[in-house]
Order: sequence, then C-alpha cells, then structure tokens
Amino acid sequence: MKKTISCLEQKPGVECIVHSLGSDEKVAQRLAQMGVLPGVTLQIIRIAPFGTTVEVSIDGSQSFAIRKDELTALNCQVVAMPLTSSDVQLHIAYRIRTLSGGRRFQQRMEAQGIHRGLFIRINNRTSPRIELHLIDQKKIVKLGRGEAEKIIIEVVDA
Amino acid sequence: MPEQAEKIVVALSSIPNTGKTTLFNRLTGSSQNTGNWPGVSVEKKVGRFSLGEYEISLVDLPGAYALSPVTEEEKVVRSYFLKTPPAVILNIVDAGNLYRSLGLTLQMSTSGLPMIVAVNMTDEKRKVDIPLLSTHLGVPVIPISARSGQGLPELKNALYEVINKPERTHVPHISCPPILEEAAKELSRKIIPGGALEKMDSNFLAMRLLEENTLSNTIHKTGLGNFIKQWRCRIEKSTGETIPITCAKCRFNAARGLVLEATGQKPEPPNGQNERIDRILLHRWFGLPLFLLIMFLLFQAVYGLGAPLQTYIGQGFDAAESWLKVQPSIAHQSNWLQSFLFDGLWQGLAIVTSFFPIIALFFIFISLIEASGYMARAAFLMDNLMHRIGLDGKAFINLLLGYGCNVPAIMGTRILSSHHSRVITMLLIPFTLCTARLQIFVFLTAILFSASVAPLVLFALYLGSFLVIITTGLLLKFLHIAGKPEPFIMEIPPYRMPTLNNVVLRTWQELKDFLYRAVSLIIAGVIVVWFLTNFPADVPAAGAETWAGQLGQLLSPLFYPLGIHWQETVALIFGLIAKEIVVGAIAVIYGGGDLSNQVVQHISPLQGLSFMIFTLFYTPCVATIAAIKAESGSWKITLFSLVLGLIVAWFASLLLYQTGLTLGFR
Repeated sequence: MKKTISCLEQKPGVECIVHSLGSDEKVAQRLAQMGVLPGVTLQIIRIAPFGTTVEVSIDGSQSFAIRKDELTALNCQVVAMPLTSSDVQLHIAYRIRTLSGGRRFQQRMEAQGIHRGLFIRINNRTSPRIELHLIDQKKIVKLGRGEAEKIIIEVVDA
Repeated sequence: MPEQAEKIVVALSSIPNTGKTTLFNRLTGSSQNTGNWPGVSVEKKVGRFSLGEYEISLVDLPGAYALSPVTEEEKVVRSYFLKTPPAVILNIVDAGNLYRSLGLTLQMSTSGLPMIVAVNMTDEKRKVDIPLLSTHLGVPVIPISARSGQGLPELKNALYEVINKPERTHVPHISCPPILEEAAKELSRKIIPGGALEKMDSNFLAMRLLEENTLSNTIHKTGLGNFIKQWRCRIEKSTGETIPITCAKCRFNAARGLVLEATGQKPEPPNGQNERIDRILLHRWFGLPLFLLIMFLLFQAVYGLGAPLQTYIGQGFDAAESWLKVQPSIAHQSNWLQSFLFDGLWQGLAIVTSFFPIIALFFIFISLIEASGYMARAAFLMDNLMHRIGLDGKAFINLLLGYGCNVPAIMGTRILSSHHSRVITMLLIPFTLCTARLQIFVFLTAILFSASVAPLVLFALYLGSFLVIITTGLLLKFLHIAGKPEPFIMEIPPYRMPTLNNVVLRTWQELKDFLYRAVSLIIAGVIVVWFLTNFPADVPAAGAETWAGQLGQLLSPLFYPLGIHWQETVALIFGLIAKEIVVGAIAVIYGGGDLSNQVVQHISPLQGLSFMIFTLFYTPCVATIAAIKAESGSWKITLFSLVLGLIVAWFASLLLYQTGLTLGFR
C-alpha cells in the first residue's frame, strides 16, 4: 500500500517517485524543464530553518529548493522514509534501503548486524529507544532516535 | 590597406550554474559591454575577441532551462534566437550535471544553427565520452575547464572551423509521441521561413509554434493560427498535458539515454564533500546563525578595510585642493568662481571617488559569495522568513545588495521571476541601510557618541532597518499591493572555488557602472546645493536668507516635532539628490569651519539619532528613484515608494524623538 507525498510526513530521507506533475501549469513546466518528470525519484535532503522550504535531490544527483506546498501538490508516491517517520507502522515488514550516515555510522550499524537489504519490523517506538526486529536474523536491536533517523527504509510489497 | 575583420556574432547559452560567466570572462577578458535587452530589464553582456581573420562578438545570454519560456530571462533567450539568430551557438554544459544541462542542448541542437558544445569538466573523476556526444548531437563537442582555461585553444579552433564551414552534418531527431511528430511535420511544410529564420530547421520552428501560442507573429505571417490551435488541442487531449511538458519529457528521455551512454552511469553521483559542508552550513538550527555571522563579518570587512581607504582619499583630495588654490592661474580667478570650483565641482569629485573603496570591496565579497554557491544557500535559509512577508529567498539577495547600494539592488530585482516579487522587493530596498547613508551615520555617531557607544548605535540602526523592512513587508502583503506571490523553485548549485578573474571583472564592471550612473548625478547635485546655498547673491552664503535657508524654514513646523532644525532639513532636501552630500551640506549650512564642533554645538545626541532615523528611511536618492521607475515601468509604483519612505521616516523619527524626550534623554 503506497501513499503520495501529500499525505505523509515530509522529513529528510523521504523518497518518492513522481507520477504526474500536478495541476499548477507554471510549476509543472518549470519542474519539467529542470528534468523533474514522471519516473524521476525525488529525495528530501533537508528542511530549511522554520520548516516550510525543503531541499530535494533529483535521482540522487543535484538538488533544488522547493516549498512544501508545491511538493505536496505533486503526485509523488513515497517509496522510502526514515525509521523515525510517523508514517512507519508497527509490526509491518520493511526493507532497509540505505544507511544515510557517514562511514563510522555504517560501521557501527554493521557491528549490530544492520545493513542494506535487511527485512525489519518495528516493535515499539514509544520508549526513547526504537526497538527494531531483524526478521531473518530473529534478533532485536535497540536504536536511539539519532541513529534511527539515518536509516531509510522502503515499503515491501505483499 | 588591411581588410576589415569580418564580424561574427556568437551566442553563449546554457542553463544556470554551468560556468557560463567564467567561460565568457575567459574568452573576452575585460572587453565587455553591459546594457539591457530591448524592452525588458534583463542585463545584456557582449564581449569581443579576435579569432584569425574574424572579430567575434560574444553575446552572453541569460541562463535558461528551455526555449519555451517561464521566466523573463528565458523570454529574452527565446526572442533572441528567433528574431536575430546568431551565426554560431556556443553552448556550455556541466559534466557534473550533464542530464539537466542536456535538456537545453538537445533543444538548441535541433534548431539546425551551427553550434559547438563545450563540456565544462567540473569534476575530474567523471569520464565523459566526448566523441559519442558529438556524434549524437551532430555538432563538435570540446572538453574544457572554464576555471583553469584548459581546452580553450581547442574550443577556439573548433569555433574557427565552424565559422569557416557552418554546414551541419546532421540535425538530431528527438522522438516524440506520434501525434506531436505528425503535427510538427504537417506544420513545417506550411511554414515558409523568411529572412533571419531561413537558416533554421523548419521542424524546429514548427515545434516552437506548437509549444508557445504567442509566437505566431515572429515565425510566420500567414494565417496558420487556427491550424496550429486545432493541432494543439488534439495533442493536449491525446497526451493529457501541455505541449511544453510533453516536449520536456521527450528531451529528457533522450538526455537520460545520452548520459548513460556517454558516462556509463545513470544519474550523477552525489557530491560527498558538498554534502559535508552543507550539513554544517545548512544545518536546521546553526544554519541561520552562521549565515548572520558571515554577513556580519562581511560588513565588518567592507567597512573595516574601506573606511581607512576613504580617509586617505579624502586627505588626498584636501591636499590637492590646498595645492590647487595657491596656483596662480586659479588664485587670480574671482571669489565666486573659486567657490564654485572648490565647494561645488571639486567636492562632488571627491565624494564620487571616496565611494570607490566601499563599492569595490562590497562587490568583491558579494561576487565571492555568489560564485562560491553560498548565495543560493542563503536564499534557501532565508526563504521561510521572506515568504512571511510575501517574498521568496531569492529576494533576500536583493535586499542584501541594498545594504551596499540601493541602485544596483533595484536593478538586480530582474533576477526575480515574478512581477509580484519584483515590486515588493523594489519597495523594500529603499529601507536598507546603504553605504551612502552609512557614511553619514559613521560620521555623526563618531562625533555625537563615545567610541564605545558609537558602534552600538550603528548596529541599532541596522536593526531598525531590518525591523522596518519586516513591518512594511507585512503591511504590503496584507494590502495585496502587487498581486499574488509565485511558487519558489531554485537550483542549489555545488560549491565552487571562485576565480580571481571573475571577481575582478565583476567588481570592475560594477565600479564602471557606478561611475557612469553617479558621477554626473552627484556632481550636478553638489552644484545645485552650491547654488541654493550661495544665492540670492547679496546675502551671506549658507545663511537663513538663501534659497536653501528659506526652504528649510518653510518646512520647519513639520520637522520641529522630530527635533530636526531647519539647517538639517535643508541637508535632508539635498540628501534627495544623493546621501553622499548630506554631511557636506551640513558643513556648508552651519557656516563652514570645523564641522565636528559645529555638529556638537548645534545637535544633541537624541536629535542626531532622530536625524539619522529620518535619513535611514526617507527617499534614498534620485538615482534610486530613477532605478525604480526604470525597473517597474510605472510612475504609480515610483510615487508610492517616495510617499511610503517619507511617511515611514517621519513616524519613525517622531516615535524615537518623543519617546527619548519623555524618558529624559536629550
């Protein structure tokens, strides 16, 4: 079950695939001429101070600034989000898509058995630490918010 | 007699942020002319260089993403191509941003005009298959480094060859939905391109007609209007989107394939170093404070370095003046003429020259910030705050420029994409504390306040300026004075090390512009002041009976509640001409002698503060008014700006002075 970006929390790490460019002709033409077209993956890189403007990268390459309102108007289906997103549901399987932190963070995660492609499930996130269930390893790992923010997960179909 | 060199027009075009300006500066050096494109306020730069027996005039076209325009700049580029096609197109693409760059390249290569593509190798690690690109685009492709100048001889050779043999081997075909191709084919048969358009591919012209419905008069004169309209409806019905978007899809599909073939990679890999810098500079909490700190340091540097230089220049002029005065040929002239020469003309010249260090330093730093890529990030950081007053982050850059000089800042509002942003920004810029006003403030605060308090007063004046800009912005937004705000979409370029060449040329250009703009105006202003303070001829100079004195006294009821004497009112009137002459005017009006003593005797600190507040907010100068008129094209907006400034200044001064009095200050 996939959702468009309009009904999900927009935070760094969220990725979506553009399906259509929305109804504002001027915005659509501008984006199209910058290479933002259906099929392109947009990733939210960061949110500007006070939170209404976001930096978005096109297909993991160069980025541009856009307001949340305009981004929301795009028909863009979310394919990945950080572990900390409020849209991540409990007890549902996800796959780890990327670890977005630096090399040291990746090594730390690796030491705990967390890497790309892993199937996971979140058991609990009310406590300050997020409880991550590594499905295939049958193992439970506890992560802090700062760490969880850098783990980008994708929805697993069926 | 040697044969006259043949003149060839070459158009330099690209999407924004590819190193176009660097290449332009490399090729043309300092032989550049700036002006405006006819009818619009978009800067036009033309540079010259010789190439074998040819003299090349290189036209620097504004950055554009496509030939079907969204912004003013893109309209300029499209009109230029269709009305005065250049002999050769020189297109520059960024190897680190190939996909996006190629969108425009592909569109232009279908035009059939002779063309060269320069690939700016901004990233050494990135391999680009140059021959492959050349084969696909049907034009010569040359790898260069705009920064180091590598590959420039080869580029010039290729240009020389294209000029000698302009025939294209083939024009690439970009596949589109069948219905669009059919329409273009049908239409291209009916167009009979004449005159300048003869060299262009008719399929390309047909596409232009289909993409944009306002072009009919430029391309053909027969009644194809209905024919085009019918096709457009059919196409849009079948694709479910507007034609420019369908065309962009076709182009970028081709571009994606081309990038994959030429580099072996899908999209450009992210720039790790860039991301590490941005993690700090664009940090959600530290980003803004860091930005403010950078701005603070910038202004410190400009004035810390600029003010001593100004003093030296002033001393130089004083020394020259005393030397000139004793020269026999001048000393024998009448008093009247001497006064005119020294108090009028000479002083005007001194003021203009004293401005050079500050303007030069300011633009050195601004071009560093701009070329490094930080400017776009500043716009990103400030966008939310600017959005609250109905503007976008880009407008912040203009406001920032206003703190140097209002005139270039207002001229710079052209970079804003919407009429709304332009008008609002134009109305707010006069409230920025420009360097001309700063000079008055530096001078007065140094006299009226102790050395420890003076910088605080200056800082408070900057804060006051911010405050008024915010409140006025909110007011203008509330009044809906210029229609609806527009969406904000802005590319964030990678960080780059600015080149010395670019910084020097930019600064030189700005100084030249300042010279053209200011010299006549400021000197004229000083002469007018001299006239008003020296006539009627039979009264003491600068006294209450002169025309200036009479005017000041006439207005004194208005200025009494602000604690501003008629003498300073006269200075304020002269300040309308240029703020640079206000201090000089005060000196003349208080009867010459030691200016510092005069000021201390006549003006209390509180009165001085009130005077400075008024100076800060009322009409900056005639040059600014002229710029607003030129950029807005509307007397209504110009007049509104004038009245707005006077009202804000009067109320702000009144508030400060009366509050001060009540609190027991003097």
